Formats: sequence, C-alpha cells, structure tokens
Amino acid sequence: MENFSEVIAIFFSLDNFIAIALGVVIGVVVGSIPGLTATMAVALALPFTFSMQPVAAILLLVGIYKGGMYGGSITAILIRTPGSPASACTLLDGYPMAQQGHAKKALKTALYSSVIADFISNIALIFFAAYLAKIALNFGAPEFFWLICFSLTIIISLASGSMIKGLMAALLGILLSLVGLDEVFGSQRFTFGNYNLMDSISFIPLLIGLFAIPEIIEFYRKKALPHIKAKASGAGLAFSELKRCMTTIVRGSLIGVIIGAIPGTGATAAAFISYSDARRRSPNKANFGKGEVEGVAAAEAGNNGVAGATMIPLLSLGIPGDVITAIILGAFMVHGLTPGPIMFQENLSLIYALFMGIMFSSVVLLLVGNVAIKYFSLIADIPKSILFPIVLMFCVYGAYAVNNDTFDVWLMLAFGVLGYIFNRAAIPAAPFLIGFILGPMFEDNLRRSLLIGHNDLSIFVRGPITWAFIALTVGSIGLALYRFISARREARNIADKA
Amino acid sequence: MNKFLSTTCLAACSGVLILGMTVSSASANEWPTDDIRLVVPYAPGGTTDVLSRRVADLLQQELDTNVIVENRPGAGSTVGTGRLARGGRDAGHTILMASPGHTIGAAIYPDLSYDPVEDFVFLQNMIDIPNVMVVPASSPYESVIEFVEAAQEENMTFSHSGVGSSIHMSGELFKTLTDTNMTAVPFAGSGAALPALLGGDVDVSFENMPTVLSHIRSGDLRALAVTSAERSEYLPDVPTLAEIGEHNLDQFITTAWFGLIAHNSFSEEAQSVMQEALAKVMEREEFLDFAEQLGAEPGQVSGEEFKQFIIAEVERWDGVAQQAGISQ
Repeated sequence: MENFSEVIAIFFSLDNFIAIALGVVIGVVVGSIPGLTATMAVALALPFTFSMQPVAAILLLVGIYKGGMYGGSITAILIRTPGSPASACTLLDGYPMAQQGHAKKALKTALYSSVIADFISNIALIFFAAYLAKIALNFGAPEFFWLICFSLTIIISLASGSMIKGLMAALLGILLSLVGLDEVFGSQRFTFGNYNLMDSISFIPLLIGLFAIPEIIEFYRKKALPHIKAKASGAGLAFSELKRCMTTIVRGSLIGVIIGAIPGTGATAAAFISYSDARRRSPNKANFGKGEVEGVAAAEAGNNGVAGATMIPLLSLGIPGDVITAIILGAFMVHGLTPGPIMFQENLSLIYALFMGIMFSSVVLLLVGNVAIKYFSLIADIPKSILFPIVLMFCVYGAYAVNNDTFDVWLMLAFGVLGYIFNRAAIPAAPFLIGFILGPMFEDNLRRSLLIGHNDLSIFVRGPITWAFIALTVGSIGLALYRFISARREARNIADKA
Repeated sequence: MNKFLSTTCLAACSGVLILGMTVSSASANEWPTDDIRLVVPYAPGGTTDVLSRRVADLLQQELDTNVIVENRPGAGSTVGTGRLARGGRDAGHTILMASPGHTIGAAIYPDLSYDPVEDFVFLQNMIDIPNVMVVPASSPYESVIEFVEAAQEENMTFSHSGVGSSIHMSGELFKTLTDTNMTAVPFAGSGAALPALLGGDVDVSFENMPTVLSHIRSGDLRALAVTSAERSEYLPDVPTLAEIGEHNLDQFITTAWFGLIAHNSFSEEAQSVMQEALAKVMEREEFLDFAEQLGAEPGQVSGEEFKQFIIAEVERWDGVAQQAGISQ
C-alpha cells in the first residue's frame, strides 16, 4: 500500500497532465500533416524532455505517439493523403466515405476505433506485458518469416476486382522494395549509382504520390467534378453502427497488440492485416474499399492497437520494437533509467505511474480527437478548386520534409503518375503497398533464417509458432482457392442456366 | 470563376513554396551567423541520435544560437556523410556526428563519393563506448578461450546491426584474428538484433555496451570480454580481449567513438569557435552524467590528433574488410 501512495504521488502532478495533453495535441496536429510523422515529432520533442521529470518526459513522447497515430487518419480520410504511413489503410474506405458526404462519420469511426484499440492495447501492456514479452522472444527469424508469408496471403483477399491485377500490383510493390542496399552483403541493388536510392525508396513520398496526386490529376483533367455539398461534416457515427463494428474493433486491436509486441513489424502492417481480416469475415465484403465503416474501424483499430503494445518489449526487455520506441528508449536513458527487467525491480512505482499516464492518454485522445474532428471536418466543405492546390503544396512539402531533399519530391510526383495509371487501369493500390512493406521483411527473414540455421531448412519447422503460421498460411490460401473455384462454378452454372 | 480561383490559389501556393525554399538568413559578422545544423547520419533513436540531441542542446546554450538536429540515415552513415561532403550553401554551418561507420564505410564502399579524411575537418571526439562480447545466458561458453576453441571446430553465428556497423566489423575482426568459423547474421539495428541473441538464435555478438549492459546485469546475457584497451568501470570483472593474450587477441582494441566533423570548407574561425564551445560542453555536468548513462568515456582527441586517429582507423578497417571479403 505504501507503493500505491508513492505511485499516486508520482502520477498526480500537473506536469504529467500537461505533458499528456500537450503530447496528444502535438501528435494529432503533426500526424495530420502529410510528411510530418509522429516519428519526427517524437524525435524533435526529445531534447525538450531532457529537463523534465522522467514520467512527464516519457508521457509527452507517448502522447505524441498516440496522437500522431490517430492524426494520420484525418487527412487520409479527408484528402486521400495519409498523414503517416500507418494510416494508408484507413483511406481505402475513409476517403470514399468522405466523398459520399460522410466525412464526419468516417472521422468519428476512426477516433472511436483508435481510442478503443488504444485502451485494449494499454490493458495488454499493463496486465500481460511479461507474458507477451516471452512470446516475442520466441519470435525469431523463421517465425517471422512465416508470419510474413501468412500476411502476404492477405493480398489475395484485398485484390478485390481482379486477382491478376492484384498480384501484378503486389509484385510491382515487391520489385520496387528491392531497390537499395542488400541487407546481408551491403551491395547495391537497382540504385543506378544514385545516392538517394541507396537507402531504398522513401515510403512517405511513395504514399503521398500514390494516393493524393491521382485525385488532383483527375480533378484538373475533368475540371468540374461535382462537389458534394452534404455539409460534409455530415452525420456522426450512430451508436448502432459503432456496435456493429465492435467485434471488428476488438479483433483489430488484438491483432495490433500481437504485432506490436513483436519487435520490428510495425503499425502499417498491423492495419492491413486487421483490415483484410475484417473484410474476410464481414457480411458487407463487397462494400469494402467503397466506403465501408467497418473498413475504417478495422484499419484504425489495427494501427492503434500497436501503440501500447510496442511498449511491451521496450519496458519488459529493453528492446525497442520500432523507431518511436527507440527514441523513447533514448529518453529513458537520458533520465538515468534503463528499461528492462531490472527497471521492474528498481523503479516499480515509476512504471505504475507511467501506466496510469498511458491509460489517461486514451481519455485525452478521445477529447482532443473530438475537438479536432469538429474543425478538421470543415475541410471537407472547402471547394476542391481551392482545396487541391493547397493539398498539392502540402504534398510537395511533405515529400521534401522527409529527407530535406528535392529528389523525394520528384519521386512523389513519379508515384503520382503511377497512382494515376493504377486508377485508370483499376489496379488496386493496397496489394502494391503490402508488397512494398512486406517484401523486404520476407526476404530479410528468409535469408536470416538460413544464416542462423547454417542453410538447414529444418529451421523453418522448428517449433509450435512456425507450425501454427504454416497452418494459417496454407489454410488461407486453400480457403481463397476454394472460394475462387466455387465462385467460378456458380458463375458457370448461372451462365449455363441462361 | 471557379477556374480563376483555382489558378490564383495554385499560384499563391507555388509562391509560398518557392519563398520557403529560398528564404535566406540574415547576416552578421561573427560566426555563427546562422543556425547550426547537426547532421545525424543514422535514424532517430540510436546512440548517435540520442547523443547528438544531447550535445545539440548543450551546444545551443554555449553558442547562443539554434542547433538543429537532422537525421539523414542510410547505407551505414555514408548517405548523410556523402551529403555533407558535397558541401553547398550550408556547409559553413553544418557539423556531423561521425562514428565508426565513417571509417568503416570507406573500407567497404570503395566507390564512395568522398574521401573520409581529406574532405572533412575534425573537430572533437565526444565519447568512446566499448563493445562487449556477449553470449546468451544459455550458452555453454564461460570464457573467450572456450568460445574460440569451439568456434575453430564448428561454425558459429554472430548477430550485428547492419553491414559495416562497428558491431559487424568487430565480429569480422575477431573472426580474422582468431581464425574461427563465424557467420555474420544481419539485423536492422541493435533493437532487432537483441531478441535473436537473448533467445539464443545466434551464438555471440559484439554489441555496444549501452545496448546490453542491463541484460548483462539481469543475467540474461553473459559478458565474455570488453573490446576497449582498459577494463570498463561498469563491468570491472570482465576482462578486455587484449588481456586474453592468446589467438592474436592482443591486437583487438576497438571502441565505438562518436565525434563531430565538418566539411573542409568550414572556416578556421568556425573551427576554433566550435572546438572551444565543444570543450565547454564536455565539461558540463549534464554531459558527463549523460556519458555515464551510456557507459561511455568522454572522448580524448580533437583537431589534428582526431584526424590522425581517423587515418589509422580507415587503414585498419580496410584491412579487415579485405580479409573478410566484404569490400564491395
């Protein structure tokens, strides 16, 4: 009980509350600006935390992280420009919803799913950290390899229209992901001696180009797209709709938690895995990609579920799962704290105060998000002739801001053209992105497994985790084939009858 | 009307962009006349990044000007360093936190666009961090000798944080000196490499001290040796590799060093102002406390001495890279 009062004493300080609120606000704003990611904001805020109390310092960074994770969805929904990579999946249904005049509903769905997922993720962090960390440690290169294989089968379910086009897009994504330095030998691949390509194709210019630019090209080509004046704000999210999405949100959150607990996978992958899982199970399958509420919910639950869970390997093992947690690790070290098992023995009160702060940040996110929606949704009411030039400016700025290099601006424009071709040819962008994100993880973990196992293939079936993922992969492919064949048979039957 | 509005808006936005990109700074007489950029040639969050941000914070106070940290990661620091080497308008106010990647990069990328010695001026080595030879707690090897003998018989694996990192090259140096069979297993950074080591997927690693210190203290990893010339005060019971005395290991002295460099067009005035400020930074209690947190020693060399150190390092890693066959 003595500890409890100490925890309360550490947590209930004005600094902590200010830090959380400020962090979430900064996160939402920065996250919503394309090209400025939560990662950058956290890195930039780090020096300011040096002079703060440790708990307040960490909470500020965590607040930015969480706010940024949600903030990215705002521009994804409103102007088809993901504010951060993790919200690329949100725009698949969020933007169509906004176009149909349901911008506010999409934003609210994103917010509630984010907050619920965040809450579930925090619960997992607080109660199951030790257990999940153990699982994460058993996740070596071969297990990772099979997880990626399973995730790649998602492409099948996301290639909505034509399977061939979906696979083509995925392969193109994988091909482009090969550009850069080879991980094992450090040799250059497809860099054509260009410095800027040594570190692979930057993801943010790619995203901005692929999604935002085609809309702008389309607008200027057709000149007069009808502007939907639905008071775009439109209606909010009805409780019955939220209830309908609840299972999806919880499932997406759990997917996020598991992905987040394993170092090195990241929120973007989690969003896509959650999205495709939701699509596979939903009775409204056909509506996914055309403005399905559940699609937005799944994507946001997936990426926000990661936020709390990435703290699991960080706090319990001292292992940062992504760049942001690596920066947070730096902040801990600056304050003389080393996350890991020892911190749980030596600084338990501090950890519990931190947990309280992290829980509280979910509430703050809900409040700040609601205010943000109120003002941001006005964007949807701006005529496109005024909005699009501003969006274009942000696109150029966002691409430039990543590495402060004009090369990325050209890259962004090139992907804009590619995105436009995709649109015209009805090639889905989601499989392309998945190929681009998962391709390198697939290759690296395959080669890493072979190095660890001295080229002995038995390493790929070394334990229950690999077996489980092999079963899931095979099952997923089998199910897709079965559906494909039975759909064909049905089509043929209908044709025969006709 | 719609078209007019759109064109006007497009023109206005282009104006804002161009203005933003070309805006020039006010000039004054004494250096620094502009904000200082501190380039970190690695992604945010690593040791180089955290150190740079700490130094930037203190340097800002000493020089009374903004010190802006910029991350330009890629290709074992050669992308960021290459950009600095190209000079340009900002070169007179840009410094870069160099680390072993600077000298190793020269060894493994012979078509590098810059000369790691001649294209730069060397300001101050800020800190030195030893690497630690660690094995998982479940490993049967209790000493370096035991490990070397086993590795001469069977093939072992060592994890590292990326081709050309000091962790990778330390492993290669060890392999060359002791004539052992070891396969390098690359990971994307130390954070990703650590689970493989903790979980026993790889046999050994030559990690930076701050990454593994808490795991050594908690008993999850076993330290066999440190790579610095002297024993570390953080692990006083762990011998140095040089102490082992067998298997050519007396030649194994290496630390991860972190020091500030600038483009060779950096004016002499700027060099002396900067070196003076850095010397003050290194005396600050905040800096010393921070170094202690990292398990680091404050750097010893600056200016010409720092340059000579770099020349020796370039030569050494060049040899290791060639023997290990990792020169591109």
